[in-house]
Amino acid sequence: MKKKIEILPQEPRWRKIALFFIAVIIGLGLFMAKESKVISYLSDDPQACVNCHVMTPVYNSWMHSSHREWAKCNDCHVPHDNVFNKYYFKAKDGLYHATIFTARAEPDVIKMQEASQKVVQDNCIRCHVQQVTQTKYAGFLEDHKENRTKRQCWSCHKQVPHGKIHGLLTIKFNVAPLPTDQEEMVIPAWLADKIKE
Amino acid sequence: MKNKVLFVITIIVVFLLGLLASSIVNRKSEAKYKYVPQVNISENEPRNDVWGENFPLEYQSSLQTLDTTFRSFQGGSAMRDVLEEDPNLVILFAGYGFSKDYNQGRGHAYAIEDLQNSLRTGGPKGKGDGPMPATCWTCKSPDVPRLMNEIGIAEFYSGKWADKGAEIVNNIGCADCHNPKTMKLRITRPALVEAFDAMGKDINKATHNEMRSLVCAQCHVEYYFDKKLPGKEGIPYLKFPWKNGMTVEAMEDYYDNIDFKDWTHKISKAPMLKAQHPGYETFVTGVHADRGVSCADCHMPYKSEGGQKFTDHHIQSPLNNTSNACQVCHREDSKKLIANVYERQSKAKENRLNLEDLLVRAHLEAKKCWDLGATEKEMKPILLDIRHAQWRWDYSAASHGASFHSPVETARVIGGGLVKAQDARLKLARVLAKYGHNKPIDMPDVSSKELAQKYIGLDIEKLKAEKAAFKKNLLPKWLEEAKNREDKMEVNTNASLRK
Repeated sequence: MKKKIEILPQEPRWRKIALFFIAVIIGLGLFMAKESKVISYLSDDPQACVNCHVMTPVYNSWMHSSHREWAKCNDCHVPHDNVFNKYYFKAKDGLYHATIFTARAEPDVIKMQEASQKVVQDNCIRCHVQQVTQTKYAGFLEDHKENRTKRQCWSCHKQVPHGKIHGLLTIKFNVAPLPTDQEEMVIPAWLADKIKE
Repeated sequence: MKNKVLFVITIIVVFLLGLLASSIVNRKSEAKYKYVPQVNISENEPRNDVWGENFPLEYQSSLQTLDTTFRSFQGGSAMRDVLEEDPNLVILFAGYGFSKDYNQGRGHAYAIEDLQNSLRTGGPKGKGDGPMPATCWTCKSPDVPRLMNEIGIAEFYSGKWADKGAEIVNNIGCADCHNPKTMKLRITRPALVEAFDAMGKDINKATHNEMRSLVCAQCHVEYYFDKKLPGKEGIPYLKFPWKNGMTVEAMEDYYDNIDFKDWTHKISKAPMLKAQHPGYETFVTGVHADRGVSCADCHMPYKSEGGQKFTDHHIQSPLNNTSNACQVCHREDSKKLIANVYERQSKAKENRLNLEDLLVRAHLEAKKCWDLGATEKEMKPILLDIRHAQWRWDYSAASHGASFHSPVETARVIGGGLVKAQDARLKLARVLAKYGHNKPIDMPDVSSKELAQKYIGLDIEKLKAEKAAFKKNLLPKWLEEAKNREDKMEVNTNASLRK
């Protein structure tokens, strides 16, 4: 008991007020965690990325691309060399996004930072390594190695996978649909009832 | 002092946290209100322009079905008088409505007008009058699900075409295929649901891609009116004959087993089947369907306007829009693609016309047999062959698109028809010879629509006069009644919701 008193402020009056405000901070923090769906950011679910509606255009273009079947946002946009690096990068990127978004400084057209470009390039190679490494050509094609390694995949494959249109205003109603159809009736309820009769 | 500093810092931190929290809440609601619909669309809202308030791009492109300028080798959006182009059809359809008037339909936006103008629907003078049942309205309008919901399905099908004339005024549109809340595709016509049930399938299990064809299959299919449905005898209940399958043989089998005929042929007395427009059934046998292409992929391809991608609701011949419809997959030149389509169509047409010629002769030879005193027993197998042969001819022709959608199947069906028709004529030649007529029969001159209609005993002038009287007397009353009804229907705008 004596020890505890030593740590906390001496005067009981201040202690109460400070405790109150610390509780307020924790409460507000919890409120924000709930409002911003903090837990979802730990997952790989693409739905987490459209928590923030600025991401809707890129979400929609991804959802209409063939990459949808194989790669989620995180498969390309965070490193996959080890789990610590993954979450470190995710936290760094996420906090940067949150800062810009809170400051209302997000641009109309979102582009990757240099660090992010490196991660994405590595991830392209991670899956497509067999399509981009034909080492036998190195012997008889001039500049083959340079052409292969000194450029980014999307210098040429510009529309993979997000298409060429990116602005926030280009996505209709700014609605992010779910990637797969939820099971539901295709017959209106009244018609189903009438047919049963 | 230390405590005072702690106190002030905490206040600042809490203040900043509050700002952050309010920012998060604000930006979340910002996302929510980015899309603000203008009106609240009710469950069976039949008026397409009300839907158009919320979905202007789709609605405005749907209005383009009013365009009637495009003609292709055998289709397009222009109205074509099929009987004028091919008077043989008057003979094939003798005794049936299609011998009176057969115009190839224009776009969806003319669905109601074209039906009102057709001589087939006659010139009713009021309720309970006219040649056609109310069932004929089923595919024409989003007023149909509205009315079915209000009065019931069997009640909708019962009565005459004229009985429901004032109710059905909005052309094929939004509510026919879309859920008003989610805009997802939905099925509003009971016949398709019941046909799936009959096949032991559940239409609710259909994928989104299948739905992009199934909404079309609500109407662009072979159907018949079942007047013997238990408990609903006498009501021409709309049904699809899919229980045994969708091939020409499976549906023929179905009809033969229930002893169904659409009409008795006026010249040959054969119990005929009319293939209505088995577009979906023939499409599913083709290579495009096999590769998972849906109706909408070619007939309503994606387009973009102002950077926004949406489905083109100008439903039309893909040949008028090859860049969006075909060239998304096929990298060939537009002219080349159209030539490929026309090649398939003209080759199918070549044999179809041969079959048509045999059928005309068979009908007329059968008449000669009856005239010479042939018996029912002698004629029965012949008439059955004629029924089966013309069913094949019609199955290959009536959907207009079959020869492209599925050229191989169409060739097979026409080939089968040729055999059946020759079978009939072989038997006819024997019967004719038996009654002493061992030579070709005299063919009447049916080289134009007018001559052919005169030959089968149609008084077209009388039909036209009846139609004119209907359009002068009854039709304006329908439209006025409909207008009064719709004026009373409320539109919930968002502004009025907020009040």
